[in-house]
Amino acid sequence: MASAQELSDFLSSVEKRAFKQAIYAVRDEDAALDIVQDAMIKLAEKYGDRPAAELPLVFTRILQNRIHDWFRRQKVRNAWVTLFSNMGKKTDENDDFDPLESLSAPDDSEIHQDGAQKLEQSQLLQALESEIAKLPVRQREAFLMRYWDELSITETAKAMSCSEGSVKTHCSRATQTLAKALKLKGITL
Amino acid sequence: MKHQDKQFTETQADQFGRASAALLSQSAQSLPAGIKDRLHAARMKALAVRKAEKVLIKKPAFAGISGITANWNAGSNGVWDTVGWMAPLVVLVFGLIGIAQWQDDSRINDIAEVDAALLSDDVPPDAYADSGFLAFLKNGPLSDSGNDASDSVQSK
Repeated sequence: MASAQELSDFLSSVEKRAFKQAIYAVRDEDAALDIVQDAMIKLAEKYGDRPAAELPLVFTRILQNRIHDWFRRQKVRNAWVTLFSNMGKKTDENDDFDPLESLSAPDDSEIHQDGAQKLEQSQLLQALESEIAKLPVRQREAFLMRYWDELSITETAKAMSCSEGSVKTHCSRATQTLAKALKLKGITL
Repeated sequence: MKHQDKQFTETQADQFGRASAALLSQSAQSLPAGIKDRLHAARMKALAVRKAEKVLIKKPAFAGISGITANWNAGSNGVWDTVGWMAPLVVLVFGLIGIAQWQDDSRINDIAEVDAALLSDDVPPDAYADSGFLAFLKNGPLSDSGNDASDSVQSK
């Protein structure tokens, strides 16, 4: 059973990553914060007594469900807005809008880095995050869970409610797409 | 060869994935202070509503009946729990056996009393199977006169 301290440490270790994952999906800072907060509350409220080892998988699953719920609500809301208003014709602008560009603000901890190196890394991160945000939902989920959350293929399959073969396929396609997109920008990881 | 190519691609994919994850982790650490504060507040809120831990109650060695009941209510595992649900069953089984035994004894005693009354009577038991004798018993005056005669003999 996870103690209060263990739960706190776990949430502290995943909150930033969860926020980034949420923002890749929903592209809205406030919505991403709400999603992460809801996921953390749900975890603490319903699964706070689970062993510490189970928390990463449970939290990942809750977070993904919260993101999917947000999209469902958005879909319903958009349907009503489209029905009652003919003013929402700025879809092209919305497609071009990338909130990630406004996220990677410089941090004071990196002040010791060389300016050119810092700029290069910042551009690399921007490019990577931008391409990750462009991935299809399932590919992005599989890629982030598998490599960033460091879940096994089995755990990822469980969290995504799909087969292990599907996880492998999603991950393979995601890495290929990302590598190809970054290579076009002259970036090799 | 195809298998080797595939293996190589998977290895490359894993390396790419890990390198990407390392970069993303760096990126996550450099979030704006405002976002970090809001995430911290969200974490505190979540911890405030954390599901309470189950407290295990240490059971006394000899709890008695009240202790058994309390342990039953607490729902914890242990010897007293087993005793708690076994004891009423044992009492019920022994009670049923006792009631059955008492009913058997009572029935046997009733039958024995009837048998004793039949065997100790002056009239042989076979007589009760005779229809003529039954008709004789039904005629009250004859039996009364018989009794009177025996009384007169005894008085003499």
